[in-house]
Amino acid sequence: MKFISIAVKDFKELVRDRRGLFFILLFPIFFMMIFGFAFGGMGENNTPHNIAVVNLDQGTINSTGSNVNYGNNLTAELQDQNYPQNNDVKLFNVTTTSDSNAKDLLRTRTVDAELVIPANFSDSVQSLINNTILSSTGQTSSANKITSTITISGDTSYIGFGVAQGTLVGYLSQYQQGIVTAITGAQPVQYINTSVQSIPGTTSFTEFDFLAPGMMVFAILLLATTVAAILTREVESGTLLRLKISKMRSFDLLFGGLIPWSLVAGAQVVILLVVAILLGLKWQGSVYSILLAIVIGIIAGIASISLAMIIASFAKNDRQAANLGTLIVVPTAFITGAFFPLPAEYVNLFGHTFQIYDILPWTHTLTALRSVLVYGSGWSVVSSDVIISAVLALILFVIGVFLFSKTRLGAES
Amino acid sequence: MDFMIEAKDLTKKYGDLMAVDGLSIGIKKGEVFGFLGPNGAGKTTSIKMMVGLLRPTSGTVYINGTDVQKVEKGTIGMCPQELMLWEYLTCKESLDLMADMYEVPKKVRDPRVKKLLNDLFLVEKADTIVSKLSGGMKRRLNLALAVVHEPEVVVLDEPSEGLDPQSRRVLWNYIRAMRDKEGKTVILTTHIMDEADQLSDRIAIVDHGKLIRLDTPENLKKEIGEGDVVDMKISDTSRNQDLINELAKEKDVISVVEINGRINIRALNAVAKLPMMMQTVERLDVQVADISVRQNTLEDVFIDLTGTGLRE
Repeated sequence: MKFISIAVKDFKELVRDRRGLFFILLFPIFFMMIFGFAFGGMGENNTPHNIAVVNLDQGTINSTGSNVNYGNNLTAELQDQNYPQNNDVKLFNVTTTSDSNAKDLLRTRTVDAELVIPANFSDSVQSLINNTILSSTGQTSSANKITSTITISGDTSYIGFGVAQGTLVGYLSQYQQGIVTAITGAQPVQYINTSVQSIPGTTSFTEFDFLAPGMMVFAILLLATTVAAILTREVESGTLLRLKISKMRSFDLLFGGLIPWSLVAGAQVVILLVVAILLGLKWQGSVYSILLAIVIGIIAGIASISLAMIIASFAKNDRQAANLGTLIVVPTAFITGAFFPLPAEYVNLFGHTFQIYDILPWTHTLTALRSVLVYGSGWSVVSSDVIISAVLALILFVIGVFLFSKTRLGAES
Repeated sequence: MDFMIEAKDLTKKYGDLMAVDGLSIGIKKGEVFGFLGPNGAGKTTSIKMMVGLLRPTSGTVYINGTDVQKVEKGTIGMCPQELMLWEYLTCKESLDLMADMYEVPKKVRDPRVKKLLNDLFLVEKADTIVSKLSGGMKRRLNLALAVVHEPEVVVLDEPSEGLDPQSRRVLWNYIRAMRDKEGKTVILTTHIMDEADQLSDRIAIVDHGKLIRLDTPENLKKEIGEGDVVDMKISDTSRNQDLINELAKEKDVISVVEINGRINIRALNAVAKLPMMMQTVERLDVQVADISVRQNTLEDVFIDLTGTGLRE
């Protein structure tokens, strides 16, 4: 297992090169701090969130026999809400519309989020009321437990959505609590679910919450510069020549190198998460979400190392590798939306419409990390982005191995 | 004859520059073969082609009868001219790594690494990080890394470059031991005459990419006679050519050449010929600034063959 010997060697070199390690870990922390201080308080300003409400609620018959529609009630409540700290400003600008129109409004970013009230919403509210009354009088009923799910959808790469959904989820929880408290003052049983990705809501979602995962992606992307310089140094110092005439295969060298460096990427996610939390990131995840984030980070790390191999195939010395790396990494970080989301650009290919930035694995990393760390999503929500990023990373790795082997590991001509 | 390494009509062109020009050489099994030539003569290019690291423009190289590009990896061990070391690994870790890369089993590897560290006087530095070693130690490790897998052919490119006398002695003894005790074929490039003379069984003298002469050091020295060399410097170097022309007419003088502003006169029993030489100097009315008499060396062979001293 020669790749293990290479992995051990690379790991030792990584740990013993204190200055290099310091730079790799400290530089992104520095960026995170700047962004934390700059954007930590932003997004908490009192401007109404634009939302589209699609009310599919068909109403229900209440205990007195009259027809009620709690969907209309919720819509009206949303329209009436003011900022708690500023009573003159509405919390939401509500547009009631159809689902297809709401999607158009989302696409043009006229609204930040779409809220779909399901057909059985009133049934579930009535069920909540009935069961709350029964349980408060000591009786239990299992017959009429009806649950419904309010769907909040939007573009997760759009900061407006991030802020609006956080506020909405928080408000919906209050709404349910309000119904129950109005009847008994008891703790509510969850009858109305929200699915953005049903998270514990936060009404004070800031721009920093949105940007922190971007810093992690930037840090992982920066690895490409460092690894490219290290690979080029191996060429320059001649140690690659030694390895080249041995029985080592390109796979051993590159796969062996991948192991410690992708672990660094995973470690960076954790370190930067801790720093971000210290700086005020409103993170509500669990150990599971940290593990998921590490996996996402490792996949992005593999993509970065593959990019490093491509850079090292063309750079003549480590300085050139570092320069070329920066030239590629910084624009890539902007394109993935690590610093701020770029306007959506679509291309039509083979009859399908693609977001042009989706071709980069790190775009999916960012979406997945943001979902997991900021919106508290689980595997089911981020699986497609994680899988796509893994496939793209693999493609990049194959290209990297091919180019590096061809330019650096064959006989000179 | 069966050669361990056989190069036929090896040529390497870089644009207009002919780095190696039609080199044909056979290296016998178990010999120390020296490539002697000034810097830029094409020695490194030649051996890089001979070990399969560089594709020749034309020509073929066979190792034990197999095309060099198809030869099993590990047959050749190469000690490059430059230090090729991992700065953040220790001596032992570096050797273990290279042994692993050559698939040396751990059972064999451990005692072998220990012996190598011992033979090359690196035992005390086994666990020292390479960046903290002295230049001589780094050179010795550079060599150890090339032989940790016990290759049949060991190629040493300018191994003494920058070595202190102690390290050089260790290195020379080790090279001799590789041939005498282990029967290895050793190829050595050097521009140090003494090194080629002391270590090589046969020497190929190359310059401008061409093979000038190939023979044992003894034969090469014999070829230009057993004579001595008078090394003279005159005050007015602009008159060097006049003196050379006059001395060349003397029948006892074998050859007379100008090397770096000095005049080298080769003659049998040179001390007895000194009065004759001084008379010529006086006749031309020039002043001797410096004069010495020394034994004929391989360097004189080189000068005789190329008409020039070693270029640095």
